[in-house]
Amino acid sequence: MSIEPVADPELLGRMRLGDESALEALYARYGGLVYTLAQRIVGDPELAREVVQDTFLRSWDGRDTYDPERGRVPWWLMGIARNRAIDLLRSRSHQARLRERAAPPPEISTTHARDPADTVVARRTVLDALRELSDGQRRAIELAYYGGLTQTEIANELGEPLGTIKSRTREAMERLRKVLGPLIQSAGGRTS
Amino acid sequence: MTDSSEHIVDELAAYALGALETGEHARVDEHVATCASCASRLAEYRGLAGALPLALAPITPPSDLWDAIRSEARQRRPRVRMRSAIGTRWLRVAPWVAAAAVAAWLVTWNVRLQSELAQYAQGPQVEKLARRPARLVILSGAAQSQASARIFAAVDGQSGHMAISGLPRLAAERVYQLWFLPKAGPPLTAATFTVDADGRAWVVIKVPADLDDTRSLIVTEEAAPGNRAPTGPSLLEAREWR
Repeated sequence: MSIEPVADPELLGRMRLGDESALEALYARYGGLVYTLAQRIVGDPELAREVVQDTFLRSWDGRDTYDPERGRVPWWLMGIARNRAIDLLRSRSHQARLRERAAPPPEISTTHARDPADTVVARRTVLDALRELSDGQRRAIELAYYGGLTQTEIANELGEPLGTIKSRTREAMERLRKVLGPLIQSAGGRTS
Repeated sequence: MTDSSEHIVDELAAYALGALETGEHARVDEHVATCASCASRLAEYRGLAGALPLALAPITPPSDLWDAIRSEARQRRPRVRMRSAIGTRWLRVAPWVAAAAVAAWLVTWNVRLQSELAQYAQGPQVEKLARRPARLVILSGAAQSQASARIFAAVDGQSGHMAISGLPRLAAERVYQLWFLPKAGPPLTAATFTVDADGRAWVVIKVPADLDDTRSLIVTEEAAPGNRAPTGPSLLEAREWR
């Protein structure tokens, strides 16, 4: 892991004082990942743009405040972006939702030309961890996180009992936790 | 926070992924507020959920997206400052109208706060409330057990408002004084005030020290117009805040 010039929480502190360069640094760090997530959920470049813009502006003007007890800054940003994207998704027509739900599963990531070494490692670690899951476990997680479905909706979608979906989701998260725990908690793991 | 004997791992996984059924959030929030083990597990699950997009093929954002964000950020920042400047000018021009408006707003705020606090005795709802939009300090009675106060610190970290109730009226030459007791250094005064016939007051305060560098806040009774250091007993105090 490389050493970050300025820690993420410090950037947020500077943003609270109106330091625009801190916002720019945060965007440089995580704008790409937020945009990628937004595109995956809403499936539309214009809507994804709206999600990214809203995510960073919410962190800028204090509508969403960071709580260190709830995890690292990038996971907090992803949470804001995911919720905004799901809100947009739910506000769209049923046909559009069906089309997006039928979208192919996320492609296997290839190394991005601008990825720093630590991000390459982080991407590879997450990919490997997801590959360790069964197809059913992975599908349950994707429908929840990217599709915005509740567990009951997932059970209906897959034609499985609700209890099966619940246990599958829990088992998947536990397996991911065992493999990705160090990545989630590390101070490094900068992503772009 | 203590460990609960019955954990709710299924719900925690669904919660972190945003897949909890409508209406289940409050129950999970309530459990997590009192179960250290589940709170820690939920934080881990949230981290895992946030890391999932790393597995997606990266898509480069449009090159002009940052410019759009910066432009919007600049518009929002001056608006906050402008509102503050206008507010100050307005206060100078029409102090009575301004005072009445501020008092009305604070009454409304305090009533709503009381109502929401009563509704959510504990848990993330209060946590969320306390963070909206800055920091909330609740002072409870020490020598004056029936008294209480709430300090609402503004986003700028330098000013705030305090709503007080339950303090007795004072003689003309006496005042109440709010103190910040820093972790290092002498006590710092934040406001002097008196209360009305009902024992209430709403006071604009200055925040003389970062709350993170403060060990406690107290209210004492002092000789008017206020002292350089507290001399009376602590009537109200707070040692923890969010």
